[in-house]
Amino acid sequence: MITWMRRNLFRSVTDSLLTVVSATILGIVLVQVFQFVFINGRWEIIQVNLKILLVGRFPDELMYLVGFSILAICFSIASLAGGLERAPNSIQNLPAKLWGLFQRFGLIAATAALLIVLAADFDAVAFGGYVLMSIVAGTLFGRLRRTTALKKLPGWIWVLLNASLPMVLIFITIGQAALEEWGGFLINFYLAVVSITLSFPLGVLLALSRRSSLPLLRWLSTTYIELIRGAPLFVLLLLAGVALEFFIPSSIAPDAIFRAITVFTLFTAAYLAEVIRGGLQSIPKGQAEAGKALGLSTVKITFLITLPQALRNVIPAQIGQFISLFKDTTLAGVALSVFELLNVGSAITKQDDYLGQGLIYETLAFVALLFWVGSYVMSRESQRIEKKLGVGLR
Amino acid sequence: MSNEVFKDASKMSGDRESDDAIIVIDSVYKRFKDFEALKNIHMQVGRKEVVVVIGPSGSGKSTLIRCINRLEVHDEGHIFVDGTALTTDIRNIQEIRRETGMVFQNFNLFPHLTVLTNVAMGPRRVRGLSKSAAEELAMELLTRVKIPEQADKFPAQLSGGQQQRVALARALAMTPKVMLFDEPTSALDPEMINEVLDAMKELAQEGMTMIVVTHEMGFAREVADRVIFMDNGEIVEVGTPTEIFDNPKEERTKKFLSQIL
Repeated sequence: MITWMRRNLFRSVTDSLLTVVSATILGIVLVQVFQFVFINGRWEIIQVNLKILLVGRFPDELMYLVGFSILAICFSIASLAGGLERAPNSIQNLPAKLWGLFQRFGLIAATAALLIVLAADFDAVAFGGYVLMSIVAGTLFGRLRRTTALKKLPGWIWVLLNASLPMVLIFITIGQAALEEWGGFLINFYLAVVSITLSFPLGVLLALSRRSSLPLLRWLSTTYIELIRGAPLFVLLLLAGVALEFFIPSSIAPDAIFRAITVFTLFTAAYLAEVIRGGLQSIPKGQAEAGKALGLSTVKITFLITLPQALRNVIPAQIGQFISLFKDTTLAGVALSVFELLNVGSAITKQDDYLGQGLIYETLAFVALLFWVGSYVMSRESQRIEKKLGVGLR
Repeated sequence: MSNEVFKDASKMSGDRESDDAIIVIDSVYKRFKDFEALKNIHMQVGRKEVVVVIGPSGSGKSTLIRCINRLEVHDEGHIFVDGTALTTDIRNIQEIRRETGMVFQNFNLFPHLTVLTNVAMGPRRVRGLSKSAAEELAMELLTRVKIPEQADKFPAQLSGGQQQRVALARALAMTPKVMLFDEPTSALDPEMINEVLDAMKELAQEGMTMIVVTHEMGFAREVADRVIFMDNGEIVEVGTPTEIFDNPKEERTKKFLSQIL
């Protein structure tokens, strides 16, 4: 321990100086955070407003729909993950397995526990249990894909099947409640899940068209990508709020949630397309040539050989786009007057009980925590998928 | 019209009957911008014949065999594979590619698929066999190139020699009538060259029609029916291995052989 410190922290005068200075700064920050979280922070504003922060004024009698959609999302993600081929060298002992599980689910479990404690509600505990059950069920269902006749299903049908269950439930939920009743983190979560799911296939199509040999397709796709990438997301959201009324009578115009979904999907797809195109360009020419030499058609070469390799090469960049999208959902609050988490957060500080007490720190910290947990989980899982798919490559 | 050309081309090469020829190349030119990669190439390959193409790098050997399965598009002249003319018609191209297998210098295996799936790709996705039938066939071919135990590994886990044998099995899975080899041992470590050459020799003995671009003169001498020497985009000299290696007529052939032997 002492040797380690001497070697890594106090090797020379400059090293020692740097160590002392950074340790001091780190110490001050930690003390401040500790004081804020455990002593000075007035967290009752979060506790009292927990429901409104999470789901807005969503009608209680429709909450079961939200519950089912969330369970479906957990089930589908677990099932897709469970269906991935297991790396042949992944035989581990029990402690290593538990440590792996802790790394993957520790943060989510801690956050869930925090929310349950804040809610102090038996229903919340029960729901936590259901989520756990749906994850286990999803994983087991996913494994069937590796062991039973489900193996024969083409990959894209399997993915579509898994993606459509939560999508259908989410759209039913969106259709059931009136816009005014929507709110909180639920909006950010739904916007992100739906837009990620829809922007991915669109991004792939755009990337392929941009490399297509048909000039019209190439031209259309290039124009689209460059136009969207040339506009700030916030402006696009504002446009969706205002400009649509010029073309469609407001009585039949889709409500703000659908507009937000549309903008986020179109926006993310353009960036994703460029990321995927980069991936396609990284595949050596010999791959397509080997496919041609076998007599495969261009379409089969793309979908069996080049695209799968390209997508896996750019997993980190793709997840990066999705993380941006997740956090950018807060922009919908201001641009489209959607009552999403950040909006709710600043609104509750203006309640009679808390007005003028400077509780914005507590609410912003809570908002930031939820986004950080979501982003970090996505980032971790992307590394895991990358490792899992990269068998034999590295 | 195509028939006439076919007959014309057959007259040009001396010893082989036109009925025997599976590949006919007639007055073919290929240019890359200003560079003439192939100049007025005439050549025929008979059924079950093994033709080895040698020559200095940049002489057009690879371009020549890549024109046969249209990985390169020739600019002038005609190429026939088993009576089918290579034109811009995609159906003809696909048909010819189904009947010609190719092994590349850099293997070009699909790194995201297992060895077995690599070999089963052609039968399953081009010939339309069921997954199990394709994999059964793939396993047979892997046994033939002596690496059945590697079936579930990924290409990157194999040695270069093993990878090239997988590539050979993958091409053979299409039951091609002609095999094209584009410097199949040039990217291999010396100790692995022989395992690939042995597999190729076996294939030649079984009566496969082969065109091999290679620098392995020992292989050419032992296996080839005919050796073609190319230089500067032209066919300089054609003959049996003995004629070419022991008694070359052209000055350029002599010079090349003296440099490498």
